[in-house]
Amino acid sequence: MSEPGVGDVALVAALGPENSPIWLRAAGERLREAEIARVGSAAECQALARTRPLDAVVVDARIGAEAEALVAWLAARAIPSLVLEPSGSDSAALAWLRAGAGECLPCGANGERIALALRRLLAHERARRDALRREAASDVARAHRDIVEQLNSALLVVDASGRIAYCNPPAEQILGTDFEALHGREASDWFEPAGNGETLIARSLRSGARFKGAEAAVTRPDGRRVPVGMSCAPIESADGTRSGAVAVFQDLSDVKQVRTQLLQHEKLASIGQLAAGVAHEINNPMGFIHANLFQMAEYVQDLRRVFACVDSLAQAASKSESSELREAAEALAAEADSVDVEFVLGDLAKAVRESQEGSERIRHIVQDLRDFSHPDASERVLADLNQCLDSTANIVWPMMKHVVVLEKRYAELPVVSCFPMQLKQVFMNLLVNAYQAIEEAVGQSGETGTIALETARHGDGVRISVRDSGVGISAEHRERIFDPFFTTKKVGAGTGLGLSTSFGIVQRHGGRLTVESEPGRGSAFHVFLPVADEGDTGE
Amino acid sequence: MSDAARLPLVLLVDDEPRILSALKRTLRREPYELLSAESCAEALRVIESQPVDVVLSDHKMPGMTGLQLLERVASRRPQAIRLLITGWTESIPPEEIRAVGVRAVLSKPWEDAALKETLRRACKDFAGRG
Repeated sequence: MSEPGVGDVALVAALGPENSPIWLRAAGERLREAEIARVGSAAECQALARTRPLDAVVVDARIGAEAEALVAWLAARAIPSLVLEPSGSDSAALAWLRAGAGECLPCGANGERIALALRRLLAHERARRDALRREAASDVARAHRDIVEQLNSALLVVDASGRIAYCNPPAEQILGTDFEALHGREASDWFEPAGNGETLIARSLRSGARFKGAEAAVTRPDGRRVPVGMSCAPIESADGTRSGAVAVFQDLSDVKQVRTQLLQHEKLASIGQLAAGVAHEINNPMGFIHANLFQMAEYVQDLRRVFACVDSLAQAASKSESSELREAAEALAAEADSVDVEFVLGDLAKAVRESQEGSERIRHIVQDLRDFSHPDASERVLADLNQCLDSTANIVWPMMKHVVVLEKRYAELPVVSCFPMQLKQVFMNLLVNAYQAIEEAVGQSGETGTIALETARHGDGVRISVRDSGVGISAEHRERIFDPFFTTKKVGAGTGLGLSTSFGIVQRHGGRLTVESEPGRGSAFHVFLPVADEGDTGE
Repeated sequence: MSDAARLPLVLLVDDEPRILSALKRTLRREPYELLSAESCAEALRVIESQPVDVVLSDHKMPGMTGLQLLERVASRRPQAIRLLITGWTESIPPEEIRAVGVRAVLSKPWEDAALKETLRRACKDFAGRG
């Protein structure tokens, strides 16, 4: 058993009837490792125990009844006591030991024996405390291991050479590799280098730099790239020796996706407000343009009737006896010829009709804008989406049948709690886009393309897909197609609101609208919808 | 013209004169006598001086909304039928429209037939009132 060190002097209180008993001096001389404090009463001993941790107490039983109470008090506090007992009988010693004394010697015992007993008591006490500390320490270690293993974040430790020394289960998951395969491998095989060509972990190891919430990326063995948020720090001992580095990181794939969606949502909300205001402003001039065109069309009809009469009148006048009438009729005929009245009247009607078409188109755009900012607030109903999709396809079919072969692959679907009119609008947008993509691909070649309508169960919900063999969407456009007003169509062919409106509608249904596309091969849009609205059993 | 024979007097209110002329154009051949005002203040002056039977007002106008105008019309000339025409019907809370006793709300751009039909209905019981 190790002797206590210099800084580890045990404190022993001594309590006896005499001021400075011989045993105390004798024992004190032999017990260099202990400071012996003489106390005058049990109360004083207790007071001392409260201010400084006592390692042992020597109690001379001759002080009277308070000795017994003190020994019990000390035993209750796990402070060992050595009792000096005057009778020297075994039964008396046994009684003291039963009362909680750690050791009992006769009062006449010499200093050496007392010192030895005290030393044993102190050693025993030290061993007990060490065991306690070790136990606590292993508790802490176990807790540390549990914390690290059960941490939600991935944790990775590398040694001084940058090789993986430890990683917890979430790290295995993000790295897509078991610890067994990771252990001893270079961390840089997994982590993408930062700007200067060095991974954050390598920088921490080399320069002692610390990083907090830095963006980094992991490339898995299967080639998948996972964006991670990473904090990284060197592991340094008190003297500054760097023995490795520790990195804590989280998979940001979902966070990034949520962030993108949130951005999209905010964009939609602000554009929606703008759109509503614009729609209102447009409707005022549209009000009189629309009404005026209607009146003008009627006026043209009126004028045509009048001109028909003028024409008959001119015919009659040209055959008249009166030269005055004949001349007037000739002048009329000449003027009518030079103006080309027939053409002008016909073209006026055409111009008005075309303007009405234009005004009608503007009305639709404005209506789109209004729908965009004010989704209809009527109640959800349970609808058969196969039927919604099919009826929408029937509406647009005549427009596209010259270039499109339509394939339908409908699965049996549960009824879905939704706003059917809004979803039909989504399907309409997707169908028209698919048709336009095919039209652009086949041009005037006389060939046809294919639109495949597919429905399927998907997890707890349903999936409706519109696949086309059209021109496809380039990667740069794919990121923007859900943006309001983004369009690749020629002027007048699209408002750039179809897909962003669709995106908003699907989102309001608690679903997702996704796209996959290969330029030159075609695109597929997928609408994922939950069967029942959240908090709604759908019954 | 005797009182019994007179046509319903319709007041059109819009701060956009082109809307007024387009409305008049549409209603030219309809059996109404038409008046117009380019502001709420002007409309209120007309109300004071003429036995207006129908007020058809725009909503969004400077100074006072059409709904506020119709509210005043309701207190000064309660027998006048009140109609609203606006480019953005969704922006007005339905309860406010009901509170002012607006008979119908038309949206811009209006359909010729819808406008005529709305006015015809508004004036249906006009003959009975004299």
